[in-house]
Amino acid sequence: MRIRLTRRSVLRGLFGGAAVSLALPPLEAMFDANGLAYADGPPPTRFALWFWGNGIRRAQWLPTGTGTAWQPRSETEPLATPALKPYVSPVTGFEIKTATHPHHSGMTGILTGQRYHQLGTTRDTIVSTCAGPTIDQVVAQRLWDNPMTRGRFRSLEVGVCRFTGTDEGTTFQHLSHNGPNNVNAAEYEPRRLFNRLFGAEVIGSQVAAARRSVLDAVRGDLTALSQRVSAADRMRLAQHTESIRAIELRLAAGPSLQCSTPTTPAEGYPDQMGREQIAEKNRVMSDLVAMAMACDLTRVVSILFSPCGAGTVYWMAGAQNGLHQICHDERAGGAEPQPTVHGAIRFTMEQLAYFLNRLRETQEGAQNLLDATAVLATTELSEGFTHSNDEFPVIVAGRAGGRLRGGVHARSSSRENTTNVLLTMLRAMGDPRPSFGAGPGATSTVISSLLA
Amino acid sequence: MRAGRARRLTPWVLGAMVGLGGCFPGEGVEAAAEPDAAAFDDAIALDRPASRDLGVANDQPPSPRDAQPDAAPDAGAPTVEAPYAPGAVTLQRLTRRQYANALGALFGSAARLPTDLDVDTPLHGFTTIGAAQLTVAPRAAEQYDAAALDVAHQVFTNATARVSLVGCTPTAPDDACARAYLQRFGRLAWRRPLSDAELTRWVGVSRAVHGTFRDVWAGLEYATAGLLESPNFLYRVELGSPDPARPGWLKLSGYELASRLAFVLWNAPPDDALLSAAARGALDTAAGLRVEAARLLADPRARAAVGDFFAEYFKLDRLDTISRNPQLFPLFTSTLGASMRGEIVRLIDDVVFAQDVDLRAMFDTRATYLNDDLARLYNLSSAGPGFARVELPMGGPRAGILTTAGFLALNAHAAATSPTLRGRFVRQSLLCQEILPPPPGVATNLPEPSGVPQTLRQRLEQHRSDPTCAGCHNLMDPLGFGFENFDSLGVYRTTDNGLPVDPRGEVDGIAYRNAREMAALLRRHPRVGGCIARQLYRYATAHKETDAEAAGLRALAQQFESNGFRFRALALDLVSSDGFRYASQGM
Repeated sequence: MRIRLTRRSVLRGLFGGAAVSLALPPLEAMFDANGLAYADGPPPTRFALWFWGNGIRRAQWLPTGTGTAWQPRSETEPLATPALKPYVSPVTGFEIKTATHPHHSGMTGILTGQRYHQLGTTRDTIVSTCAGPTIDQVVAQRLWDNPMTRGRFRSLEVGVCRFTGTDEGTTFQHLSHNGPNNVNAAEYEPRRLFNRLFGAEVIGSQVAAARRSVLDAVRGDLTALSQRVSAADRMRLAQHTESIRAIELRLAAGPSLQCSTPTTPAEGYPDQMGREQIAEKNRVMSDLVAMAMACDLTRVVSILFSPCGAGTVYWMAGAQNGLHQICHDERAGGAEPQPTVHGAIRFTMEQLAYFLNRLRETQEGAQNLLDATAVLATTELSEGFTHSNDEFPVIVAGRAGGRLRGGVHARSSSRENTTNVLLTMLRAMGDPRPSFGAGPGATSTVISSLLA
Repeated sequence: MRAGRARRLTPWVLGAMVGLGGCFPGEGVEAAAEPDAAAFDDAIALDRPASRDLGVANDQPPSPRDAQPDAAPDAGAPTVEAPYAPGAVTLQRLTRRQYANALGALFGSAARLPTDLDVDTPLHGFTTIGAAQLTVAPRAAEQYDAAALDVAHQVFTNATARVSLVGCTPTAPDDACARAYLQRFGRLAWRRPLSDAELTRWVGVSRAVHGTFRDVWAGLEYATAGLLESPNFLYRVELGSPDPARPGWLKLSGYELASRLAFVLWNAPPDDALLSAAARGALDTAAGLRVEAARLLADPRARAAVGDFFAEYFKLDRLDTISRNPQLFPLFTSTLGASMRGEIVRLIDDVVFAQDVDLRAMFDTRATYLNDDLARLYNLSSAGPGFARVELPMGGPRAGILTTAGFLALNAHAAATSPTLRGRFVRQSLLCQEILPPPPGVATNLPEPSGVPQTLRQRLEQHRSDPTCAGCHNLMDPLGFGFENFDSLGVYRTTDNGLPVDPRGEVDGIAYRNAREMAALLRRHPRVGGCIARQLYRYATAHKETDAEAAGLRALAQQFESNGFRFRALALDLVSSDGFRYASQGM
């Protein structure tokens, strides 16, 4: 049973270092008298997708050793601290089986298990979208369809680094897709994310009833219009109708079950002396996402740390130009031929580690949020300077409520299909489907060493 | 002296250009030519006197056309052209700007407009195309819901504003006053009259909400919000009706055309007069459309809308977040991005409206608008805090849009310049020739031999000596070398990495010696007029053209040329063309 709580009633921020005062303990009302287990069963299993652009440096990222004996290299060190390593499973040696384009193929291959969908009838392959839903939405759909596993929000999408990509289709501008040209845009502004999650006014039943009248009529207009448009537009209106339906469901559910209201984050994170405040934004976004997950506002999140081919300037790594450019351009003598790229990737892995640690530090009874979450962290290509799609960088993290083993380096010696990772993640989320992906990307093989 | 003629392109390079879509060797299916590119070369004869001032006295570069008639990547175009058919009907969601303009038109200053909508997703270069293809995902629906409720609440909780909007005082949620208001407001919001069934639905909302609050104003408030959340407001609904004279085509209705017209020429909804013109059938003929289009073009809203089009064309929104390291770029200020945008928009406005001349003058005009930020950057005497029209020095390095700091900074990296990026914009956006990136698994690093300093150009030249790289880079870099005289912020320079800049290059076989000569050549390039017309067509019809539209685009380009490349004439020809007035059935 869930108990309605008043705002600010339960949790207090505990972490002085957090960018927003975080309510990190779990919601007491959700737990049994001993505070050890969810009153109505184990904590829900959550899913998080974390994406960064421009790949890695193989020589400095690929771990050594396999199984639980893996050891990081410089770029994976931030993920291998004693506290985090038991949760982190690098997956290496796999490749995109649908690779025809440096960025688009990898992005869609690793997120949808199939080739990208090309837009337009000219032979112009640089404008693309996902042919099917991305993995976060595959997970979200199944959870949302079941009222028992439905969060308040079907999914949350946030972005960290300012968008500096190009407009080569939705795959370059967005992460989460419900289908072709059907995207869930990321929220880049911490204050707006905060307002959406925690800032909504508590409305009375009269206002709720009035709003339901409006939405009901809007759905009437949508239905009437759907009957008169092309099949493609009918699908767009179906998504629109589903989006309206989500608002109606929230109105029907009543006021949100608030853990507490965290302190309001700063508005905007303007550049300081031309330097984008990436780590600061990553902290506040990670904190808010962890809190939304802890409060069960959503069970699926995607974090677009930086998009495909991003031109983010990693000034902290000594960069003066965007990473995409440096990946192509940088070549220096010495042991590390691309020292700036290397520094940028190591910094990126530190940001991923911050997010993972934020989940790990969030207690839920006897366990923590990372124990209850399946995390897939990946990018759109292997190495930036060749834009290769083999030896694809993948990190699986968390224990998914006990379904994932954690702390295992799974290495393929036969260039297996990256879609195996997606099917494994679905299995970790309790999805029994036998196969996933399409065309050369399809698979029915899971990576059993990752599963408990 | 005539500018020297550059070497003819090698057969390999020509072959690569023919393959444009696949300039990279070994490309598979994509290596075939852009199928409809042949259209423009034969359509536009262009060998007229060069522009006034090339920065080199009496130096008229030869026309690119006679130098390089075969350079354009058009071989492989279909020999039998598909019969003309207009683009398919789509639901076009209002862009963020259109949404704001629509609310502004409905409420004026009575409501503070919501600002929380997501940024638009451009596809094929334009947000209008993205808005015709993307969906309203859950968060967007939340934003529309919140915005509609917010605006309606502002107006209906203000006793003066609501009476002014409604025009009478309702005494019941469905009385004559309430119904008349919903019918009138609905017509403006949905840009067509409501059907009886629709009016009944929304009067029903008014009644239901009144039942909850016992307040007639609350009923109208929520009905108003709902009309603004309806798909009939958020999308430009185009259904059309079959035209017996043209099987397979749909003729757009007068109201649908009124919206098309207003959103293209004003980036805003039709006004009452335009809706009335639609109602009396005045938009049913091409001639009638021209009359109304001319009225719209004479309105100040058209100037803003033309600015909006060019801002998208040149991707000026990115100037909003442009950032530079102040240690590397001491001239960078937090207002510079807005100043750069301001210059380009004013320069275009000057050519299109104030001067009303050949649009291609934007490539070589010395007239521009500067404020203090930019005058400092251009090393000219102070222009004052606001923008002032100035004539750039005759012998100076700058003239035209391609030498504005905004263009140069947008098409560069944060610290480094990029002849490739600058050339790519010219090739793709101004000449409408597309270039693929290299396929996966190819090393793309520029060589950097240790110890010997080089300019970026020298490193790129080495890159291009590798045939693997040359195919594509030859299409971009030679167009961009002229801009090497400007750093990544657009500041003039004569050295790069301590070595002298070599700003020479070529435009499809014709040599130039600096950026101004390059821009003058571009102005005369046989593809440029047709390309601009094509970009406007894409923006206005919210889709990327199919092969079946080639003949329409060719005709539009011919009209553009015969009207002396005047942009407003192009707009009039576009909105009265079949491609604008008709649509094909969507799939």
